[in-house]
Amino acid sequence: MLEIKHTLCPSCSVGCGLNVIINDGEIVGTFPYKKHPVNAGKNCSNGRKSIECYQKKFEKAIVSKSEVDIEKAVEEVSKELNSADNSTVTIICSGNDNIEEIQAIKEFGESKNYNIAFYADNLKDFGDVASYDEVAGASKVFVIGDLLYENPLIGRRIVHAKQNGAKIYALGKAEKSVTFNIADETSNSTVQEFLEDNKGNIDDDSVIVFNYVDSQDDLDKIDALNCKCLPVFSKSNSKGILDIMEAKSLDEMLELLDNTKVLLVFNDDIADELDFDFGKISKIISFAPCSNKTTEISDIVVPTKTWLEKDGSFVNAMGETQTFTTAVESDLLSEIEIIEKLNG
Amino acid sequence: MSYVLAKSQNDDILSAGECGGAVTSILKYLLDEEIVDGVLVLSPQDDVYDATPTFITDSEDLIKTAGSYHCAPTMIGDLVQKYLFDKKVAITVKPCDMRAVEELITRHKINKDNIYMIGLNCGGTVSPVSGRKMIDLFYEADPDDVVSEEIDKGKFIIELADGSEEAVKIHDLEEEGYGRRNNCQRCDVKIPRKANIACGNWGAEDGWTFIEINDEKGQELIDGARKAGILETKNPAQGAIDGREKVEGIMIKMAKKVQDATYPTVSEMDEWNRCISCYACRDVCPICWCFENCELNKPYFKDETTVPPTPIAFQGVRLSHMSFSCVDCGQCDDVCPMDIPVSLIFDKLQKKYFNRTGYVAGVSDDIKPPLYSPEKTEL
Repeated sequence: MLEIKHTLCPSCSVGCGLNVIINDGEIVGTFPYKKHPVNAGKNCSNGRKSIECYQKKFEKAIVSKSEVDIEKAVEEVSKELNSADNSTVTIICSGNDNIEEIQAIKEFGESKNYNIAFYADNLKDFGDVASYDEVAGASKVFVIGDLLYENPLIGRRIVHAKQNGAKIYALGKAEKSVTFNIADETSNSTVQEFLEDNKGNIDDDSVIVFNYVDSQDDLDKIDALNCKCLPVFSKSNSKGILDIMEAKSLDEMLELLDNTKVLLVFNDDIADELDFDFGKISKIISFAPCSNKTTEISDIVVPTKTWLEKDGSFVNAMGETQTFTTAVESDLLSEIEIIEKLNG
Repeated sequence: MSYVLAKSQNDDILSAGECGGAVTSILKYLLDEEIVDGVLVLSPQDDVYDATPTFITDSEDLIKTAGSYHCAPTMIGDLVQKYLFDKKVAITVKPCDMRAVEELITRHKINKDNIYMIGLNCGGTVSPVSGRKMIDLFYEADPDDVVSEEIDKGKFIIELADGSEEAVKIHDLEEEGYGRRNNCQRCDVKIPRKANIACGNWGAEDGWTFIEINDEKGQELIDGARKAGILETKNPAQGAIDGREKVEGIMIKMAKKVQDATYPTVSEMDEWNRCISCYACRDVCPICWCFENCELNKPYFKDETTVPPTPIAFQGVRLSHMSFSCVDCGQCDDVCPMDIPVSLIFDKLQKKYFNRTGYVAGVSDDIKPPLYSPEKTEL
């Protein structure tokens, strides 16, 4: 049976719609979801490849590099947690988790007095941010990062702004970028210098769109400006989690990891994101649907459902809550089901 | 080639289907008589702006697919070649679907003996996001209240839940940047004559489907469905045939006018300047079939470390490889994150190729793809 079902793209915080092609119960491809208001059927390469996570998903749990049943792995996790000093246990929440999962993880961590950490690209919550239509309708757009290349469906709104007559000011780390190609003014300076240089140009009809900053001070500077901004996160639900808990800065994350003996990572690849010697941590336990750098260094890996195998909701970069439903059934456990088991 | 007017003998289909329900009835006949394993048709999802191709194997499920979905501009050729190659399948095809399927048959990616093509005459399709906005701006209706839509007599007509209708001239909508998708506005293939039959309401009496029977297989379809008691047919009057021809002629004339107006406006290098080399246009192209073996995946072309990508290394190579076969379906425009008018660039070159060789992708009778055609030696 060949059918096509709606879902959301999990590959960044833009919140694009994605259709998946299902043949005989298996996800075999993607198909444009043209009715979706965020992307009208347009998906970047990452979005179209996102189903690889389903296609390469773990079928078995891993304990000390050996495959075991999921039940056995969950038992091992319980044992580790029961023998640990709770103050040295840290839970890493991820922008890959949906709202419902984050609430369950937070409740679980708080009930055990574990440390709970969430890292959002060294960015923070700005509350009421610019909508995508506001980006397209702005008279000046200040772009920090190669948004056209890295977050193309926000980049598209910047292109629309340009076509509507807006002036585009772009800052990037590299000498060349796709965003630079359409920008009126370009810069390779620091974020602070860029904001300082353009202080006189930024007004209430401007929008600042960014996917990186150099430091936390940059965030305060952006916050203090008299225009709307739109931080674009690397994960699908970072904005949603920021409504539930504060993000830690890079320095705070590194400090917390320094004091961690048992690390529980829920659906994240923190080892890829942070430059930290994870060998210093006694036990790393990952709950993840498919392999990544963190699962590779984990002592225990408990496979979880991909987003395609469960219901949930993400909040996109502009603050809209979007729900998705199960595209294919699975025998694996969701993170919520795993937490229920850990709670006994 | 011959013509027939047809009407469903099934009351449910007659009330759910467009202009006589002949298409749904023929599909039902094919399923019930087990002539095909299944039919690949558009099935509505959330609302009138949202339909996706669905493989149906039980004729009871057909009724929900009856009707037209102008706001769901999908393609099915690639689904047939990738997932249904070994199955006997009936497919409903717009002219661009038909052209894509024909090009894939030429490339031995679809087995012609395995498929029945039920053609649908097409005046164009509308992008769903733009369609909703258009209704919001130019109609007195809430887009959410629309239960069906139709393109007829140069108007985009919506029907609301209370049974009322509103219509706006497509020309007026397109003047304001709405209406049909850009590729549909310049499309000059309105009747899918490579399909076994081509169905529509042009020239038809109310409550009847006008069918052009294009080949022997098409004739067998009509005869079989009639014999099975699901289809009633009669001969159309000469006036109906002339009327249909007139509609087609006007639409082609309008399309050529759009071609002349738009081809000179596109500046390839300016548009490619914002290409992010995401391969969405290649991946959605119904004619591109090499997949992992595509030359563009080879290290000498695929340089993911160079940002911004060099347009000529991706767009240029693809243009030189595929533009001769472009069926102007517009899928590449639809999926491009950077809104590059890819199909306009490709179609413009296809027309140049046509002017030199007479080859129309998916329409001409050549048995080999364009780059292998004898005409190429003349270029």
